[in-house]
Amino acid sequence: MSASVTVAITLEVEPEEAFRLFTEEVDQWWQRGPKFRFRPKLNGTMRFEPGEGGRLVEIYDEAKGELYEAGRILVWEPGRRLVFEWRGPNYREGQVTEVDIRFKANDTGTRILLEHRGWETLPPDHPARHGLDSRAFLTMQGGWWEEQLVALKALA
Amino acid sequence: MSEPAQEQIDRVLAALADPTRRRMVDLLREGPMRAGDLAAAFEISGPAVSRHLRVLRENALIEEEEAGDDRRLRVYRLRAAPFADLQAWLEEVAAFWTSQLTAFKAHAEGKTRKRKKK
Repeated sequence: MSASVTVAITLEVEPEEAFRLFTEEVDQWWQRGPKFRFRPKLNGTMRFEPGEGGRLVEIYDEAKGELYEAGRILVWEPGRRLVFEWRGPNYREGQVTEVDIRFKANDTGTRILLEHRGWETLPPDHPARHGLDSRAFLTMQGGWWEEQLVALKALA
Repeated sequence: MSEPAQEQIDRVLAALADPTRRRMVDLLREGPMRAGDLAAAFEISGPAVSRHLRVLRENALIEEEEAGDDRRLRVYRLRAAPFADLQAWLEEVAAFWTSQLTAFKAHAEGKTRKRKKK
């Protein structure tokens, strides 16, 4: 069995435009409240920083650099595909999942296929990981930890 | 979902991330099996089989019945609860994204219609 969730929806909007609205106007359509926002009490603004290497963030105070980083953008193909990392507010350190969204043209306009996967990525020292090859896991997580350390150094 | 429940889900997912353990679960889905029979279905060493079974047991995916002194006669069976919890949790995630995509559809189609009217 694979630990992934896939949902789909069809909308009367062309793929290019759907991709643009999905990313540029994320704060307008992303629902509010504790079920949907990362830190709902802080009333932040959601944003996709365009392009691979950008991030999905919830910004609380831009001048002070106060934000929640949900994850890096891994694939940015306007009108076709968007993949980003997803770290929920109650995830443990080092745990990160992936959201993969495909925009496909159809008769109506666009069919969006969203897949959320990767919960089996637990920290390598977790007892449940016993017997797994942890090397691939570490490679995948390496970038994330490096960034965390750099960010911490910058704060110090 | 409460944090301990989430942690349990994570452990179940991690245990199932391994292909050998997934196949063991597939076999046990058809009914309880003796350790020896289970081991015979895999081309890996006895200790490796034991290790995988231990991970499944420690994460409460399977349980064992003692059957005398011979370890090979121990019977393993799947526990239903972790799979039901996993299913419920995956449905929660699906509900989250369905709700989000529905909100996005309303936003995107509203925008496009407004523009067409202009």
